[in-house]
Amino acid sequence: MFRRFSRHIKEGFIGVGRHFGMAISSSASVTIALFLVGFFLVITYNLNLIAKDIEQSISLSALVDYNITSQTALDTLEKQILSIDGVKTVEFRSKDDEFTYYVEQYPDIREFNEYYRDQNPFHDAFLVGVEDGNELETVKNKIAAINGIASVHDGGSNTYLLINALEKVRIFGGVLVLALAVLAVYLIYNTISITIRARDTEIWIMKNVGAKNGYIRAPFLVEGIIIGVLGSLIPIGAMIALYLYAFNRSDGVILGVFNLVEPYPFLLYLCLALLGIGIIVGFIGSYLSVSRLLRNKR
Amino acid sequence: MIRLNKVSKKYKNGTHALYDITLNIKEGEFVYIIGATGSGKSTLIKLLDGEEVPTSGDVIVNKINVGKLKKSKVPMYRRNIGVVFQDYRLLPKKNTFENVAYAMEVIDTPTKVLRPRVREVIKMVELSDKSTSFPGQLSGGQQQRVAIARAIANKPKILIADEPTGNLDPKMSDDIISLFERINKEEGTTILIVTHDIQTVKNHPKRTIEIASGHVVRDLPEGLKDEDIPKDIEPDVYFEQTAKLRLDEEKKQEETEELKEENV
Ligand SMILES: Nc1ncnc2c1ncn2[C@@H]1O[C@H](COP(=O)(O)OP(=O)(O)OP(=O)(O)O)[C@@H](O)[C@H]1O
Ligand SMILES: [Mg+2]
Repeated sequence: MFRRFSRHIKEGFIGVGRHFGMAISSSASVTIALFLVGFFLVITYNLNLIAKDIEQSISLSALVDYNITSQTALDTLEKQILSIDGVKTVEFRSKDDEFTYYVEQYPDIREFNEYYRDQNPFHDAFLVGVEDGNELETVKNKIAAINGIASVHDGGSNTYLLINALEKVRIFGGVLVLALAVLAVYLIYNTISITIRARDTEIWIMKNVGAKNGYIRAPFLVEGIIIGVLGSLIPIGAMIALYLYAFNRSDGVILGVFNLVEPYPFLLYLCLALLGIGIIVGFIGSYLSVSRLLRNKR
Repeated sequence: MIRLNKVSKKYKNGTHALYDITLNIKEGEFVYIIGATGSGKSTLIKLLDGEEVPTSGDVIVNKINVGKLKKSKVPMYRRNIGVVFQDYRLLPKKNTFENVAYAMEVIDTPTKVLRPRVREVIKMVELSDKSTSFPGQLSGGQQQRVAIARAIANKPKILIADEPTGNLDPKMSDDIISLFERINKEEGTTILIVTHDIQTVKNHPKRTIEIASGHVVRDLPEGLKDEDIPKDIEPDVYFEQTAKLRLDEEKKQEETEELKEENV
Protein backbone atom coordinates (compact mmCIF):
# COMPACT_ATOMS: atom_id res chain seq x y z
CA MET A 1 0.00 0.00 0.00
CA PHE A 2 2.69 2.44 1.04
CA ARG A 3 4.94 1.27 -1.77
CA ARG A 4 2.18 1.93 -4.22
CA PHE A 5 1.47 5.35 -2.78
CA SER A 6 5.10 6.43 -2.94
CA ARG A 7 5.25 5.05 -6.46
CA HIS A 8 2.43 7.37 -7.57
CA ILE A 9 4.10 10.33 -5.89
CA LYS A 10 7.40 9.50 -7.55
CA GLU A 11 5.77 9.11 -10.96
CA GLY A 12 4.04 12.45 -10.43
CA PHE A 13 7.34 14.23 -9.79
CA ILE A 14 8.93 12.48 -12.75
CA GLY A 15 6.06 13.75 -14.87
CA VAL A 16 6.66 17.33 -13.71
CA GLY A 17 10.38 16.93 -14.41
CA ARG A 18 9.79 15.52 -17.86
CA HIS A 19 7.78 18.53 -18.99
CA PHE A 20 9.39 21.07 -16.77
CA GLY A 21 8.75 24.03 -19.08
CA MET A 22 5.09 23.21 -19.47
CA ALA A 23 4.73 22.49 -15.78
CA ILE A 24 6.33 25.80 -14.85
CA SER A 25 4.22 27.81 -17.24
CA SER A 26 1.02 26.30 -15.95
CA SER A 27 2.30 26.81 -12.41
CA ALA A 28 2.86 30.44 -13.36
CA SER A 29 -0.74 30.75 -14.44
CA VAL A 30 -1.80 29.34 -11.10
CA THR A 31 0.53 31.85 -9.47
CA ILE A 32 -1.03 34.80 -11.27
CA ALA A 33 -4.53 33.58 -10.56
CA LEU A 34 -3.76 33.04 -6.89
CA PHE A 35 -2.07 36.43 -6.59
CA LEU A 36 -5.28 38.09 -7.72
CA VAL A 37 -7.35 35.77 -5.58
CA GLY A 38 -5.16 36.71 -2.63
CA PHE A 39 -5.42 40.46 -3.22
CA PHE A 40 -9.08 40.15 -3.79
CA LEU A 41 -9.64 38.16 -0.63
CA VAL A 42 -7.66 40.69 1.40
CA ILE A 43 -9.64 43.57 -0.04
CA THR A 44 -13.07 42.00 0.27
CA TYR A 45 -12.37 40.75 3.72
CA ASN A 46 -11.38 44.21 4.85
CA LEU A 47 -14.21 45.85 2.97
CA ASN A 48 -16.58 43.45 4.66
CA LEU A 49 -15.32 44.58 8.01
CA ILE A 50 -15.85 48.20 7.00
CA ALA A 51 -19.24 47.43 5.57
CA LYS A 52 -20.26 45.80 8.80
CA ASP A 53 -19.20 48.89 10.71
CA ILE A 54 -21.32 51.00 8.45
CA GLU A 55 -24.27 48.68 8.35
CA GLN A 56 -24.40 48.55 12.09
CA SER A 57 -24.97 52.26 12.16
CA ILE A 58 -27.62 52.14 9.52
CA SER A 59 -31.04 53.00 10.80
CA LEU A 60 -34.24 54.53 9.55
CA SER A 61 -36.43 56.98 11.31
CA ALA A 62 -40.13 56.59 10.72
CA LEU A 63 -42.20 59.65 11.54
CA VAL A 64 -45.70 59.17 12.94
CA ASP A 65 -48.68 61.19 11.70
CA TYR A 66 -49.52 64.10 14.04
CA ASN A 67 -53.05 62.84 14.59
CA ILE A 68 -51.92 59.57 16.18
CA THR A 69 -51.42 60.19 19.84
CA SER A 70 -52.97 57.34 21.83
CA GLN A 71 -50.55 54.82 23.39
CA THR A 72 -52.45 51.81 21.93
CA ALA A 73 -52.22 53.22 18.42
CA LEU A 74 -48.49 53.78 18.87
CA ASP A 75 -48.03 50.24 20.20
CA THR A 76 -49.84 48.82 17.17
CA LEU A 77 -47.57 50.78 14.86
CA GLU A 78 -44.51 49.52 16.68
CA LYS A 79 -45.68 45.92 16.31
CA GLN A 80 -46.40 46.43 12.62
CA ILE A 81 -42.91 47.75 11.98
CA LEU A 82 -41.28 45.00 14.01
CA SER A 83 -43.10 42.34 11.99
CA ILE A 84 -41.44 43.48 8.74
CA ASP A 85 -38.71 41.14 7.45
CA GLY A 86 -35.24 42.59 7.92
CA VAL A 87 -36.13 44.84 10.83
CA LYS A 88 -33.83 44.23 13.76
CA THR A 89 -34.85 46.75 16.39
CA VAL A 90 -37.52 49.37 16.89
CA GLU A 91 -37.14 52.16 19.39
CA PHE A 92 -39.78 54.77 20.17
CA ARG A 93 -38.86 58.41 20.43
CA SER A 94 -41.54 60.82 21.52
CA LYS A 95 -41.64 64.24 19.97
CA ASP A 96 -40.55 65.59 23.30
CA ASP A 97 -37.42 63.46 23.18
CA GLU A 98 -36.80 64.64 19.66
CA PHE A 99 -37.14 68.21 20.72
CA THR A 100 -34.75 67.71 23.61
CA TYR A 101 -32.28 66.04 21.31
CA TYR A 102 -32.57 68.94 18.93
CA VAL A 103 -32.19 71.53 21.66
CA GLU A 104 -29.10 69.89 23.03
CA GLN A 105 -27.39 70.03 19.70
CA TYR A 106 -27.35 73.82 19.92
CA PRO A 107 -26.46 74.61 23.54
CA ASP A 108 -25.75 78.29 22.72
CA ILE A 109 -29.34 79.04 21.91
CA ARG A 110 -30.91 76.59 24.34
CA GLU A 111 -32.95 79.27 26.13
CA PHE A 112 -34.31 80.56 22.91
CA ASN A 113 -35.30 77.14 21.71
CA GLU A 114 -36.83 76.00 24.97
CA TYR A 115 -39.24 78.89 24.65
CA TYR A 116 -40.90 77.13 21.73
CA ARG A 117 -41.32 73.68 23.36
CA ASP A 118 -45.11 74.19 23.42
CA GLN A 119 -45.21 74.55 19.69
CA ASN A 120 -42.95 71.51 19.13
CA PRO A 121 -42.93 70.88 15.36
CA PHE A 122 -41.44 67.39 15.67
CA HIS A 123 -43.28 64.11 15.03
CA ASP A 124 -43.33 61.15 17.35
CA ALA A 125 -40.89 58.74 15.70
CA PHE A 126 -39.58 55.18 15.59
CA LEU A 127 -35.89 54.55 15.20
CA VAL A 128 -35.68 51.33 13.14
CA GLY A 129 -32.51 49.20 13.06
CA VAL A 130 -32.10 47.20 9.84
CA GLU A 131 -30.39 43.81 9.71
CA ASP A 132 -28.70 44.14 6.35
CA GLY A 133 -27.70 47.24 4.43
CA ASN A 134 -28.88 45.63 1.21
CA GLU A 135 -32.44 45.51 2.52
CA LEU A 136 -32.54 49.14 3.53
CA GLU A 137 -34.55 50.24 0.52
CA THR A 138 -37.22 47.54 0.71
CA VAL A 139 -37.66 47.92 4.45
CA LYS A 140 -37.97 51.66 4.01
CA ASN A 141 -40.71 51.28 1.42
CA LYS A 142 -42.61 48.78 3.52
CA ILE A 143 -42.61 51.04 6.56
CA ALA A 144 -43.67 54.04 4.51
CA ALA A 145 -46.68 52.04 3.32
CA ILE A 146 -48.02 51.54 6.85
CA ASN A 147 -51.10 53.57 7.74
CA GLY A 148 -50.21 56.23 10.28
CA ILE A 149 -46.61 56.70 9.18
CA ALA A 150 -46.06 60.13 7.72
CA SER A 151 -42.64 59.54 6.20
CA VAL A 152 -39.41 57.53 6.52
CA HIS A 153 -35.89 58.93 6.44
CA ASP A 154 -32.45 57.36 6.27
CA GLY A 155 -28.87 58.48 6.65
CA GLY A 156 -28.83 59.66 3.06
CA SER A 157 -28.07 58.22 -0.37
CA ASN A 158 -24.35 57.91 0.37
CA THR A 159 -25.04 54.89 2.50
CA TYR A 160 -26.73 53.19 -0.45
CA LEU A 161 -23.96 54.05 -2.81
CA LEU A 162 -21.31 52.66 -0.53
CA ILE A 163 -23.25 49.47 0.09
CA ASN A 164 -23.91 49.02 -3.61
CA ALA A 165 -20.29 49.68 -4.42
CA LEU A 166 -19.12 47.07 -1.93
CA GLU A 167 -21.53 44.60 -3.44
CA LYS A 168 -20.23 45.31 -6.94
CA VAL A 169 -16.62 44.92 -5.86
CA ARG A 170 -17.51 41.56 -4.38
CA ILE A 171 -19.31 40.35 -7.50
CA PHE A 172 -16.68 41.64 -9.91
CA GLY A 173 -13.90 40.11 -7.86
CA GLY A 174 -15.72 36.79 -7.64
CA VAL A 175 -16.19 36.65 -11.40
CA LEU A 176 -12.57 37.61 -12.01
CA VAL A 177 -11.30 34.97 -9.65
CA LEU A 178 -13.55 32.34 -11.19
CA ALA A 179 -12.36 33.21 -14.69
CA LEU A 180 -8.73 32.99 -13.61
CA ALA A 181 -9.33 29.68 -11.90
CA VAL A 182 -10.89 28.33 -15.08
CA LEU A 183 -7.90 29.54 -17.08
CA ALA A 184 -5.50 27.84 -14.66
CA VAL A 185 -7.53 24.63 -14.85
CA TYR A 186 -7.35 24.80 -18.63
CA LEU A 187 -3.57 25.27 -18.68
CA ILE A 188 -3.02 22.42 -16.27
CA TYR A 189 -5.38 20.32 -18.35
CA ASN A 190 -3.17 20.95 -21.39
CA THR A 191 0.04 20.19 -19.54
CA ILE A 192 -1.30 16.92 -18.23
CA SER A 193 -2.64 16.02 -21.68
CA ILE A 194 0.88 16.34 -23.03
CA THR A 195 2.32 14.23 -20.23
CA ILE A 196 -0.32 11.65 -20.96
CA ARG A 197 0.56 11.57 -24.63
CA ALA A 198 4.21 11.11 -23.71
CA ARG A 199 3.23 8.15 -21.60
CA ASP A 200 0.74 6.52 -23.90
CA THR A 201 2.71 3.28 -24.18
CA GLU A 202 2.72 2.94 -20.42
CA ILE A 203 -0.96 3.66 -20.27
CA TRP A 204 -1.60 1.19 -23.06
CA ILE A 205 0.29 -1.51 -21.16
CA MET A 206 -1.46 -0.72 -17.91
CA LYS A 207 -4.86 -0.93 -19.58
CA ASN A 208 -3.99 -4.14 -21.32
CA VAL A 209 -2.76 -6.00 -18.29
CA GLY A 210 -5.79 -4.83 -16.34
CA ALA A 211 -4.47 -2.11 -14.04
CA LYS A 212 -7.36 -0.37 -12.29
CA ASN A 213 -8.42 3.02 -13.60
CA GLY A 214 -7.61 4.63 -10.27
CA TYR A 215 -4.10 3.26 -10.50
CA ILE A 216 -3.60 4.65 -13.99
CA ARG A 217 -5.05 7.99 -12.96
CA ALA A 218 -3.12 8.50 -9.74
CA PRO A 219 0.30 9.70 -11.00
CA PHE A 220 -1.33 12.29 -13.26
CA LEU A 221 -3.46 13.60 -10.44
CA VAL A 222 -0.35 13.85 -8.30
CA GLU A 223 1.36 15.74 -11.10
CA GLY A 224 -1.55 18.18 -11.40
CA ILE A 225 -1.57 18.74 -7.66
CA ILE A 226 2.18 19.34 -7.62
CA ILE A 227 1.74 22.01 -10.30
CA GLY A 228 -1.06 23.60 -8.28
CA VAL A 229 0.97 23.60 -5.07
CA LEU A 230 4.06 24.99 -6.82
CA GLY A 231 1.88 27.74 -8.23
CA SER A 232 0.56 28.68 -4.79
CA LEU A 233 3.90 29.04 -3.01
CA ILE A 234 4.87 32.48 -4.32
CA PRO A 235 1.45 34.09 -3.76
CA ILE A 236 1.35 32.69 -0.23
CA GLY A 237 4.77 34.11 0.61
CA ALA A 238 3.98 37.43 -1.03
CA MET A 239 0.61 37.80 0.69
CA ILE A 240 2.11 37.21 4.12
CA ALA A 241 4.93 39.68 3.52
CA LEU A 242 2.79 42.39 1.91
CA TYR A 243 -0.03 42.22 4.41
CA LEU A 244 2.23 42.26 7.44
CA TYR A 245 4.09 45.20 5.93
CA ALA A 246 0.89 47.12 5.21
CA PHE A 247 -0.56 46.33 8.60
CA ASN A 248 2.50 47.38 10.57
CA ARG A 249 3.10 50.42 8.45
CA SER A 250 -0.44 51.71 8.98
CA ASP A 251 -0.82 50.53 12.57
CA GLY A 252 -3.85 48.58 11.43
CA VAL A 253 -5.90 51.61 10.49
CA ILE A 254 -6.58 53.01 7.03
CA LEU A 255 -8.13 56.34 6.00
CA GLY A 256 -7.89 57.30 9.62
CA VAL A 257 -11.05 55.49 10.69
CA PHE A 258 -11.33 52.01 9.28
CA ASN A 259 -9.67 49.07 11.00
CA LEU A 260 -7.68 46.46 9.06
CA VAL A 261 -8.31 42.79 9.86
CA GLU A 262 -5.83 41.46 12.41
CA PRO A 263 -3.10 39.42 10.65
CA TYR A 264 -3.63 36.41 12.86
CA PRO A 265 -5.54 34.17 12.24
CA PHE A 266 -6.66 35.93 9.03
CA LEU A 267 -3.35 35.33 7.19
CA LEU A 268 -3.35 31.68 8.19
CA TYR A 269 -6.81 31.18 6.69
CA LEU A 270 -5.83 33.17 3.63
CA CYS A 271 -2.77 30.97 3.03
CA LEU A 272 -4.74 27.79 3.56
CA ALA A 273 -7.34 29.07 1.12
CA LEU A 274 -4.68 29.83 -1.51
CA LEU A 275 -3.02 26.46 -1.04
CA GLY A 276 -6.41 24.76 -1.15
CA ILE A 277 -7.37 26.55 -4.36
CA GLY A 278 -4.01 25.58 -5.89
CA ILE A 279 -4.58 21.94 -5.01
CA ILE A 280 -8.16 21.94 -6.22
CA VAL A 281 -7.31 23.67 -9.50
CA GLY A 282 -4.46 21.21 -10.12
CA PHE A 283 -6.66 18.28 -9.25
CA ILE A 284 -9.55 19.35 -11.47
CA GLY A 285 -7.28 20.13 -14.44
CA SER A 286 -5.54 16.78 -14.33
CA TYR A 287 -8.72 14.88 -13.47
CA LEU A 288 -10.50 16.24 -16.54
CA SER A 289 -7.53 15.40 -18.69
CA VAL A 290 -7.15 11.81 -17.49
CA SER A 291 -10.87 11.22 -17.53
CA ARG A 292 -11.06 12.16 -21.17
CA LEU A 293 -8.40 9.57 -21.88
CA LEU A 294 -10.01 6.84 -19.82
CA ARG A 295 -13.45 7.59 -21.18
CA ASN A 296 -12.38 7.29 -24.80
CA LYS A 297 -11.36 3.70 -24.35
CA ARG A 298 -12.94 1.02 -22.33
CA MET B 1 -13.64 -20.72 -23.43
CA ILE B 2 -14.50 -18.24 -26.21
CA ARG B 3 -17.95 -18.17 -27.73
CA LEU B 4 -19.25 -15.65 -30.22
CA ASN B 5 -22.95 -15.78 -30.85
CA LYS B 6 -24.25 -13.87 -33.91
CA VAL B 7 -21.91 -10.98 -33.20
CA SER B 8 -22.14 -7.86 -35.35
CA LYS B 9 -20.11 -4.70 -34.98
CA LYS B 10 -20.93 -1.40 -36.56
CA TYR B 11 -18.66 1.53 -35.63
CA LYS B 12 -20.12 4.91 -34.78
CA ASN B 13 -19.02 6.32 -38.13
CA GLY B 14 -21.22 3.73 -39.86
CA THR B 15 -18.51 1.23 -40.88
CA HIS B 16 -19.90 -2.24 -40.54
CA ALA B 17 -16.84 -4.30 -39.53
CA LEU B 18 -18.36 -7.64 -38.53
CA TYR B 19 -21.58 -9.42 -39.51
CA ASP B 20 -23.26 -12.18 -37.57
CA ILE B 21 -20.11 -13.96 -36.43
CA THR B 22 -20.65 -17.26 -34.63
CA LEU B 23 -17.53 -19.02 -33.34
CA ASN B 24 -16.42 -21.45 -30.69
CA ILE B 25 -12.88 -21.73 -29.41
CA LYS B 26 -12.09 -24.29 -26.73
CA GLU B 27 -9.72 -23.93 -23.82
CA GLY B 28 -6.13 -24.67 -24.82
CA GLU B 29 -6.79 -24.29 -28.56
CA PHE B 30 -4.34 -22.65 -30.94
CA VAL B 31 -6.10 -20.68 -33.67
CA TYR B 32 -5.03 -18.49 -36.58
CA ILE B 33 -7.27 -15.75 -37.87
CA ILE B 34 -6.49 -14.71 -41.43
CA GLY B 35 -8.10 -12.33 -43.89
CA ALA B 36 -7.49 -9.34 -46.12
CA THR B 37 -6.75 -5.93 -44.70
CA GLY B 38 -9.88 -4.26 -43.40
CA SER B 39 -11.73 -7.56 -43.12
CA GLY B 40 -12.40 -7.08 -39.40
CA LYS B 41 -9.69 -9.13 -37.65
CA SER B 42 -8.55 -6.43 -35.26
CA THR B 43 -12.15 -5.54 -34.55
CA LEU B 44 -12.71 -9.12 -33.46
CA ILE B 45 -9.78 -8.83 -31.05
CA LYS B 46 -11.09 -5.56 -29.63
CA LEU B 47 -14.40 -7.26 -28.92
CA LEU B 48 -12.58 -10.05 -27.11
CA ASP B 49 -10.51 -7.83 -24.83
CA GLY B 50 -13.46 -5.59 -24.09
CA GLU B 51 -12.17 -2.44 -25.78
CA GLU B 52 -15.20 -2.39 -28.07
CA VAL B 53 -18.72 -3.66 -27.46
CA PRO B 54 -20.69 -5.60 -30.07
CA THR B 55 -23.60 -3.83 -31.73
CA SER B 56 -25.58 -7.06 -31.41
CA GLY B 57 -24.92 -10.62 -30.31
CA ASP B 58 -22.90 -11.94 -27.39
CA VAL B 59 -19.17 -12.32 -26.83
CA ILE B 60 -18.70 -14.85 -24.06
CA VAL B 61 -15.21 -15.41 -22.68
CA ASN B 62 -14.67 -17.60 -19.65
CA LYS B 63 -18.44 -17.52 -19.08
CA ILE B 64 -18.27 -13.72 -18.91
CA ASN B 65 -20.40 -11.70 -21.32
CA VAL B 66 -17.74 -9.23 -22.32
CA GLY B 67 -19.99 -6.76 -24.14
CA LYS B 68 -22.26 -6.42 -21.11
CA LEU B 69 -19.39 -5.95 -18.69
CA LYS B 70 -19.60 -2.80 -16.61
CA LYS B 71 -16.78 -0.38 -17.36
CA SER B 72 -15.39 -0.70 -13.87
CA LYS B 73 -15.14 -4.48 -14.27
CA VAL B 74 -13.16 -4.35 -17.52
CA PRO B 75 -9.71 -4.08 -15.85
CA MET B 76 -10.25 -7.20 -13.74
CA TYR B 77 -11.56 -9.05 -16.78
CA ARG B 78 -8.51 -8.06 -18.80
CA ARG B 79 -6.21 -9.84 -16.43
CA ASN B 80 -7.48 -13.02 -18.17
CA ILE B 81 -6.10 -11.89 -21.49
CA GLY B 82 -2.59 -11.15 -22.72
CA VAL B 83 -2.08 -9.19 -25.93
CA VAL B 84 0.86 -8.78 -28.27
CA PHE B 85 1.05 -6.39 -31.21
CA GLN B 86 3.14 -6.00 -34.30
CA ASP B 87 4.92 -2.96 -32.85
CA TYR B 88 6.09 -4.57 -29.57
CA ARG B 89 5.28 -1.47 -27.48
CA LEU B 90 8.15 -1.81 -25.04
CA LEU B 91 9.26 0.97 -22.71
CA PRO B 92 12.58 2.21 -24.17
CA LYS B 93 14.02 3.31 -20.82
CA LYS B 94 13.45 0.00 -19.11
CA ASN B 95 15.51 -3.14 -19.67
CA THR B 96 14.09 -6.57 -20.46
CA PHE B 97 13.56 -7.52 -16.85
CA GLU B 98 11.95 -4.17 -15.97
CA ASN B 99 9.71 -4.22 -19.02
CA VAL B 100 8.31 -7.59 -18.04
CA ALA B 101 8.15 -6.69 -14.35
CA TYR B 102 6.20 -3.51 -15.19
CA ALA B 103 3.16 -5.54 -16.26
CA MET B 104 3.11 -7.23 -12.87
CA GLU B 105 3.88 -4.13 -10.80
CA VAL B 106 0.93 -2.16 -12.13
CA ILE B 107 -1.50 -4.77 -10.89
CA ASP B 108 0.14 -4.74 -7.45
CA THR B 109 1.93 -8.08 -7.57
CA PRO B 110 4.03 -8.58 -4.43
CA THR B 111 7.77 -8.46 -5.12
CA LYS B 112 8.18 -11.95 -3.71
CA VAL B 113 5.96 -13.39 -6.44
CA LEU B 114 7.09 -10.97 -9.12
CA ARG B 115 10.82 -11.64 -9.32
CA PRO B 116 10.79 -15.41 -9.80
CA ARG B 117 7.93 -15.19 -12.29
CA VAL B 118 9.69 -12.54 -14.38
CA ARG B 119 12.80 -14.73 -14.47
CA GLU B 120 10.67 -17.72 -15.41
CA VAL B 121 8.98 -16.07 -18.40
CA ILE B 122 12.21 -14.47 -19.59
CA LYS B 123 13.70 -17.94 -19.57
CA MET B 124 10.71 -19.30 -21.45
CA VAL B 125 11.24 -16.78 -24.26
CA GLU B 126 14.97 -17.61 -24.19
CA LEU B 127 16.22 -14.16 -23.27
CA SER B 128 17.84 -14.91 -19.92
CA ASP B 129 21.14 -13.59 -21.22
CA LYS B 130 19.45 -10.34 -22.36
CA SER B 131 17.81 -9.57 -19.03
CA THR B 132 19.59 -6.25 -18.60
CA SER B 133 19.53 -5.17 -22.25
CA PHE B 134 17.38 -2.25 -23.31
CA PRO B 135 14.94 -2.54 -26.23
CA GLY B 136 17.26 -0.46 -28.42
CA GLN B 137 19.93 -3.12 -28.00
CA LEU B 138 17.66 -5.99 -29.11
CA SER B 139 16.68 -7.31 -32.54
CA GLY B 140 13.05 -7.12 -33.66
CA GLY B 141 12.49 -10.79 -32.90
CA GLN B 142 14.03 -10.40 -29.45
CA GLN B 143 11.89 -7.34 -28.76
CA GLN B 144 8.80 -9.27 -29.76
CA ARG B 145 9.82 -12.01 -27.36
CA VAL B 146 10.08 -9.47 -24.53
CA ALA B 147 6.58 -8.32 -25.44
CA ILE B 148 5.37 -11.93 -25.34
CA ALA B 149 7.04 -12.52 -21.99
CA ARG B 150 5.29 -9.44 -20.68
CA ALA B 151 1.94 -10.61 -22.06
CA ILE B 152 2.14 -13.97 -20.30
CA ALA B 153 3.73 -12.77 -17.06
CA ASN B 154 0.37 -12.45 -15.31
CA LYS B 155 -0.65 -15.95 -16.46
CA PRO B 156 -3.55 -14.98 -18.71
CA LYS B 157 -5.87 -17.76 -19.83
CA ILE B 158 -5.89 -16.40 -23.37
CA LEU B 159 -3.05 -14.91 -25.38
CA ILE B 160 -4.01 -12.82 -28.38
CA ALA B 161 -1.48 -11.60 -30.95
CA ASP B 162 -2.33 -9.13 -33.72
CA GLU B 163 0.22 -9.57 -36.53
CA PRO B 164 3.02 -10.57 -34.15
CA THR B 165 5.36 -11.38 -37.04
CA GLY B 166 4.41 -8.46 -39.23
CA ASN B 167 7.81 -6.75 -38.85
CA LEU B 168 9.97 -9.89 -38.79
CA ASP B 169 11.80 -11.93 -41.42
CA PRO B 170 10.65 -15.53 -42.09
CA LYS B 171 13.23 -17.15 -39.82
CA MET B 172 12.37 -14.95 -36.85
CA SER B 173 8.67 -15.34 -37.56
CA ASP B 174 9.10 -19.08 -37.41
CA ASP B 175 10.81 -18.82 -34.02
CA ILE B 176 8.04 -16.61 -32.68
CA ILE B 177 5.33 -19.05 -33.75
CA SER B 178 7.32 -21.90 -32.20
CA LEU B 179 7.42 -19.88 -29.00
CA PHE B 180 3.62 -19.50 -29.09
CA GLU B 181 3.35 -23.26 -29.56
CA ARG B 182 5.51 -23.83 -26.50
CA ILE B 183 3.51 -21.39 -24.39
CA ASN B 184 0.37 -23.14 -25.58
CA LYS B 185 1.75 -26.48 -24.48
CA GLU B 186 3.59 -25.54 -21.29
CA GLU B 187 1.21 -22.98 -19.80
CA GLY B 188 -1.97 -24.34 -21.34
CA THR B 189 -2.77 -20.86 -22.66
CA THR B 190 -5.42 -20.55 -25.35
CA ILE B 191 -3.79 -18.81 -28.30
CA LEU B 192 -5.27 -16.59 -31.01
CA ILE B 193 -3.00 -15.25 -33.70
CA VAL B 194 -4.08 -12.76 -36.33
CA THR B 195 -1.76 -12.89 -39.31
CA HIS B 196 -1.15 -12.19 -42.97
CA ASP B 197 1.83 -14.49 -42.93
CA ILE B 198 0.58 -17.48 -44.94
CA GLN B 199 3.97 -19.19 -45.11
CA THR B 200 4.28 -19.39 -41.33
CA VAL B 201 0.68 -20.51 -41.03
CA LYS B 202 1.45 -23.35 -43.42
CA ASN B 203 4.65 -24.31 -41.57
CA HIS B 204 2.80 -24.66 -38.28
CA PRO B 205 -0.60 -25.96 -39.25
CA LYS B 206 -3.33 -25.12 -36.75
CA ARG B 207 -7.04 -24.43 -36.87
CA THR B 208 -7.45 -21.47 -39.22
CA ILE B 209 -10.39 -19.10 -39.42
CA GLU B 210 -10.65 -16.85 -42.47
CA ILE B 211 -12.56 -13.60 -42.32
CA ALA B 212 -13.59 -11.62 -45.39
CA SER B 213 -15.51 -8.35 -45.24
CA GLY B 214 -16.66 -9.09 -41.72
CA HIS B 215 -17.84 -12.64 -42.37
CA VAL B 216 -16.28 -15.94 -41.38
CA VAL B 217 -15.77 -17.49 -44.80
CA ARG B 218 -13.76 -20.56 -43.80
CA ASP B 219 -13.00 -22.42 -40.61
CA LEU B 220 -10.41 -25.11 -41.30
CA PRO B 221 -9.80 -27.39 -38.28
CA GLU B 222 -6.68 -28.91 -39.84
CA GLY B 223 -5.22 -25.59 -40.94
CA LEU B 224 -4.48 -24.08 -44.28
CA LYS B 225 -3.33 -26.59 -46.93
CA ASP B 226 -1.56 -25.83 -50.16
CA GLU B 227 -4.70 -26.57 -52.14
CA ASP B 228 -6.60 -23.95 -50.10
CA ILE B 229 -4.55 -21.18 -51.61
CA PRO B 230 -3.63 -21.02 -55.28
CA LYS B 231 0.16 -21.15 -55.74
CA ASP B 232 0.45 -18.58 -58.51
CA ILE B 233 -0.98 -15.72 -56.53
CA GLU B 234 0.15 -13.53 -53.60
CA PRO B 235 -1.79 -14.43 -50.44
CA ASP B 236 -2.91 -10.85 -49.85
CA VAL B 237 -4.17 -10.53 -53.39
CA TYR B 238 -5.94 -13.80 -53.01
CA PHE B 239 -7.59 -12.69 -49.79
CA GLU B 240 -8.79 -9.55 -51.45
CA GLN B 241 -10.22 -11.51 -54.32
CA THR B 242 -12.16 -13.83 -52.03
CA ALA B 243 -13.34 -10.79 -50.14
CA LYS B 244 -14.58 -9.25 -53.38
CA LEU B 245 -16.31 -12.44 -54.38
CA ARG B 246 -17.92 -12.53 -50.98
CA LEU B 247 -19.07 -8.93 -51.31
CA ASP B 248 -20.49 -9.53 -54.77
CA GLU B 249 -22.37 -12.54 -53.45
CA GLU B 250 -23.77 -10.44 -50.64
CA LYS B 251 -24.88 -7.74 -53.01
CA LYS B 252 -26.62 -10.31 -55.19
CA GLN B 253 -28.32 -11.72 -52.13
CA GLU B 254 -29.45 -8.32 -50.99
CA GLU B 255 -30.72 -7.52 -54.45
CA THR B 256 -32.71 -10.75 -54.68
CA GLU B 257 -34.10 -10.07 -51.22
CA GLU B 258 -35.09 -6.59 -52.29
CA LEU B 259 -36.69 -8.05 -55.40
CA LYS B 260 -38.59 -10.50 -53.24
CA GLU B 261 -39.78 -7.70 -51.02
CA GLU B 262 -40.91 -5.71 -54.02
CA ASN B 263 -42.80 -8.70 -55.38
CA VAL B 264 -44.65 -9.29 -52.15
N1 LIG C 1 -12.41 2.69 -34.40
C1 LIG C 1 -12.94 2.53 -35.63
N2 LIG C 1 -13.89 3.38 -36.06
C2 LIG C 1 -14.45 3.24 -37.27
N3 LIG C 1 -14.13 2.28 -38.14
C3 LIG C 1 -13.18 1.39 -37.79
C4 LIG C 1 -12.53 1.48 -36.51
N4 LIG C 1 -11.63 0.49 -36.42
C5 LIG C 1 -11.71 -0.18 -37.59
N5 LIG C 1 -12.64 0.36 -38.42
C6 LIG C 1 -13.03 -0.12 -39.74
O1 LIG C 1 -13.55 -1.44 -39.59
C7 LIG C 1 -13.10 -2.27 -40.66
C8 LIG C 1 -12.33 -3.45 -40.08
O2 LIG C 1 -11.15 -2.97 -39.49
P1 LIG C 1 -10.12 -3.92 -38.75
O3 LIG C 1 -9.12 -3.05 -38.12
O4 LIG C 1 -10.87 -4.85 -37.89
O5 LIG C 1 -9.47 -4.68 -39.98
P2 LIG C 1 -8.28 -5.72 -39.98
O6 LIG C 1 -8.84 -6.99 -40.53
O7 LIG C 1 -7.63 -5.78 -38.67
O8 LIG C 1 -7.29 -5.06 -41.04
P3 LIG C 1 -5.70 -5.08 -41.09
O9 LIG C 1 -5.31 -6.43 -41.61
O10 LIG C 1 -5.36 -4.00 -42.04
O11 LIG C 1 -5.20 -4.84 -39.70
C9 LIG C 1 -12.26 -1.39 -41.55
O12 LIG C 1 -13.09 -0.94 -42.60
C10 LIG C 1 -11.86 -0.24 -40.66
O13 LIG C 1 -11.70 0.93 -41.42
MG1 LIG D 1 -5.69 -5.22 -37.91
